[in-house]
Amino acid sequence: MAVFPRRRLAAVAVAAATALLVTAGCGGGDDAEGDGPVTLTVDVFGQFGYEELYQEYMAANPGVKIVERGTGTNLDEYSPKLTQWLAAGRGAGDVVAIEEGLLVEYKANPNNFVNLLDHGAADLKGNFLEWKWNAGLTADGKQLIGLGTDVGGIAMCYRKDLFEKAGLPTARDEVSKLWPTWQDYIATGERFVAAKTGASFLDAATNTFNTILLQTAGNTTGYSYYDTSGNLVVDSNPAVRQAWDTTMDIVDSGLSGKYGSWSEEWVSAFKQSKFATIACPAWMTGVIESNAGAGAQGKWDIAQVPGNGGNWGGSHLAVPKQSKHQAEAIELAKFLTSAKGQIGAFKAKGPLPSSPQALDDPAISGATNAYFSGAPVGTIFGAGAKSLKPVYMGPKNQAVRTEVENAVRTVELGQRNPGQGWTDAVTNAKKAAAK
Amino acid sequence: MSRLWRASPLTYLALVVAAGLSIFPIWWMFVVASRTNDAMGQLPPPITPGGNLGANISRLFDNTDAYFLTGLINSTVVATTVTVSVVFFSSLAGFAFAKLRFRGRNALLLVIIATMMVPTQLGVIPLYMLMSKLQWNDRLPAVIVPVLVTGFGVFMMRQYAGQAISDELIEAARMDGCGTARVWWHVVVPALRPAAAVLGLLTFMTTWNDFLWPYAVLNDPANPTVQLSLRALSDGYYQDMSQVFTGTAIATLPLLLVFVLFGRQIIGGIMEGAVKA
Amino acid sequence: MTVQLDPRPPAVPATGPHRRSTGRLSRLDTRYSPYLYIAPFFLLFAVFGVYPLAYTFWVSLHDWDLLGSDHPFVGMENYTRLLADVDFWHALVNTLGIFVISTVPQLLAALWLANLLNRGLRARTGWRMAVLVPNVTSTAAVAIVFGVLFGREFGMINWMLDLVGIDAIEWKSNRFASWVAISAMVDWRWTGYNALILLAAMQAIPRDLYEAAAIDGASRARQFWSVTVPMLKPTILFCTIIATIGGLQLFTEPRMFNSGTNPIRGGPLRESQTLTMYMFENAFAPHYNFGYGSAVAWLLFALIAVVAAVNVLVLRRLGGSRPGARKGTTR
Repeated sequence: MAVFPRRRLAAVAVAAATALLVTAGCGGGDDAEGDGPVTLTVDVFGQFGYEELYQEYMAANPGVKIVERGTGTNLDEYSPKLTQWLAAGRGAGDVVAIEEGLLVEYKANPNNFVNLLDHGAADLKGNFLEWKWNAGLTADGKQLIGLGTDVGGIAMCYRKDLFEKAGLPTARDEVSKLWPTWQDYIATGERFVAAKTGASFLDAATNTFNTILLQTAGNTTGYSYYDTSGNLVVDSNPAVRQAWDTTMDIVDSGLSGKYGSWSEEWVSAFKQSKFATIACPAWMTGVIESNAGAGAQGKWDIAQVPGNGGNWGGSHLAVPKQSKHQAEAIELAKFLTSAKGQIGAFKAKGPLPSSPQALDDPAISGATNAYFSGAPVGTIFGAGAKSLKPVYMGPKNQAVRTEVENAVRTVELGQRNPGQGWTDAVTNAKKAAAK
Repeated sequence: MSRLWRASPLTYLALVVAAGLSIFPIWWMFVVASRTNDAMGQLPPPITPGGNLGANISRLFDNTDAYFLTGLINSTVVATTVTVSVVFFSSLAGFAFAKLRFRGRNALLLVIIATMMVPTQLGVIPLYMLMSKLQWNDRLPAVIVPVLVTGFGVFMMRQYAGQAISDELIEAARMDGCGTARVWWHVVVPALRPAAAVLGLLTFMTTWNDFLWPYAVLNDPANPTVQLSLRALSDGYYQDMSQVFTGTAIATLPLLLVFVLFGRQIIGGIMEGAVKA
Repeated sequence: MTVQLDPRPPAVPATGPHRRSTGRLSRLDTRYSPYLYIAPFFLLFAVFGVYPLAYTFWVSLHDWDLLGSDHPFVGMENYTRLLADVDFWHALVNTLGIFVISTVPQLLAALWLANLLNRGLRARTGWRMAVLVPNVTSTAAVAIVFGVLFGREFGMINWMLDLVGIDAIEWKSNRFASWVAISAMVDWRWTGYNALILLAAMQAIPRDLYEAAAIDGASRARQFWSVTVPMLKPTILFCTIIATIGGLQLFTEPRMFNSGTNPIRGGPLRESQTLTMYMFENAFAPHYNFGYGSAVAWLLFALIAVVAAVNVLVLRRLGGSRPGARKGTTR
């Protein structure tokens, strides 16, 4: 007699089960196999500028459909996800971007990735700057995890209108002459602040610190928080201390607007023209353009960075072993990292090629950026790229960097004096490295 | 019934202030959502709507990085499935606890009350491992299945069934030859309808709003719930505040709509002894 | 209450002899079907509630890394490390601090609001809806909005403070200020809700108590404190327990309030990092130490149990029998 309601119950259970099965199909990254077109998922963070390249690739390879995930995501969000996908054995894209600071961490488990040397990548060696190529190799040199995408040649982006208001020169060559060294940069900043334009000289001390650190490390020790044998040297590497001290001078001089990098407030400060300079790795130009918006077009320009060159950022593309379409994914990664692919990305969003052929290409060397008052970005960023000296980054580089930059931030905000800040930086870095 | 105390103008003034504080952040959300992105960081801050809402909405849905539409659809699927299931199973169990006699009834009811006190979100680590094993991470079942029936729902239905359904009625139905399932269907379900509506609304809102667990287990940026796509929008390398706020407004809108339509019932449900979901 | 019933009169007495054939089935039904009806909850809770909590303890006894292939048993080591971990204690103090400064004003405001609503008002439902509306908004969305309102330089709150000559407050990097800002968010969401619960309880207070007090010459304010509040004690404590369980697990509000790098830390000096955030930071990104994270979860679990137990004891001593509002008194 209870048949009718029980049947309903069963019906509901079946309906619920069906719903689950249907929704289970929503997962990305591992779509249906078979003879139909292959869908390749590319996992990135920030702006890689690949959209047009995908179109071109799909047109040439009708059997391939490309989906990009993570565009605009910041690295702190992206990298943990990738880690979790690799650990879970599923979920990662067919092609994944790995940032230079995290490369060592991922190389610790090379089994997660396809060895590109087994797939004809060795022939491509000449297409990359030597250090960029080497960074993709495991310690024993037997496995190639990833092919290089971009490098992060550094410049200094500045607001012409604010410089003019402060009575400073505005032409990029003259501005470059203002600051051969970081001390000169500080002196310029003091002049700027004295003019009371209502804006700060720079956005935040944290990004500037990282710039100085990578520059100094590149020019001296060749490593930053970890030495090349993987020991934490945050308190013994003179490059770290020197970058710290310079940054403290900047903070002491009251130049920083203290807009925490990547925060909503930082973006507001871009919108409201609240700072005049920002340390500018090549990929940062795309960030500035997106944040400051069309209204600020032509108000920005790009000068040389104080000190001498340096590299911040840049990535590799890898193919996880869990990919169900490894062969197709490898071909796509090769295409995107080819000289042609790198030029296309540069034109779209500004990441500087790691391929010497691309760097020499007139499309790069002659490139200008209309948003930045027509600045010759190809020469500004590209000039030093070939002579760049790599900075080695150790196993927990990202976690350690977080701690040290947090310490910078506490001093900048006046919560700690430089001495306490340094103690915090060292203590917390050691703690994070041990976790 | 005549009131004990009359409302003075001062009472109304105080209530206007309280209502203003309640509504202002929601209002302001719509203000920013209807202006261009240049309003970001403007001082003095704008407090009246602009004319850009339509443009912001279409930019938001065109923004392929945020997967906002997918988020909306996913949240709708998740919240609806969970709501239907919670109401269904809770009304069955609540009926059993309120009206059926069985061994261990009181002890089991105490267990249910106790489970409401257990902070289950602290189990996220093993739950994450479990979902990995089931291959459910990044997929919606991971956020649906664990909450298909809740102690809160069972308890609420039990409380309501206890006072809304008379034993005589059930007895009469039994005399008529109904088994317990038929009693549930013919007697209990109609009587529980008001409570079921409230439970359904509260469950929908809780599920729609859930953040911690989806944040832990749904890592695929292309397959988020709406709360996760909001997080993605607001944590990116660059932010478009008018888009973020349009997103927050749209994510809040279904809840507001439900509230406007069923506010009276929700208030009744809460005041009739419903505990916090 | 609308109770609809199958209108057919009972045609035959249930004990009629011709019913015997179904009698056994019926007995089976009455005896066992209740278990069938309650089973889904217990099954689900066992798998997704009890098991994870118990397993959390098991994991907390191991050196268990997401990326590691083996996880050796380490006994209580995670706990001893945790007890010596300043960041853990820091997060604990944050959690308790935010809990106290959100719960106390929230309940006082709710009491006051309930008192206002407990008068002969026009548009009664409208007022009730107005104070309840924050409760139905999306938590993450509201946290983003508050994060902007509480901005240091571009936030509306600091702008208004500036109008009255108060210097900008560092809402995100001053520890106490960040507690206040997050508490404001929690209060905003829950005050109206608690007010309605208290209102329901207020309406259940017998009127003659007030009349007696009035005859004794008690003023309205005095009546409020000597009649209303004591009668509401069980409900207030009930609200406190619920606020405890939610408040000690606070996550979404502080997580979304902090934007920029590493929001899971709750600010450069972990100003607003709650215990749940600390658990998350350790168990998931960036450390992936499941063992250590699980230890945090268990200590937090113990803390909640202790605080809830204290609440219950207090409740018992005050003789409150049934928590929650009374029924049938809402109109």
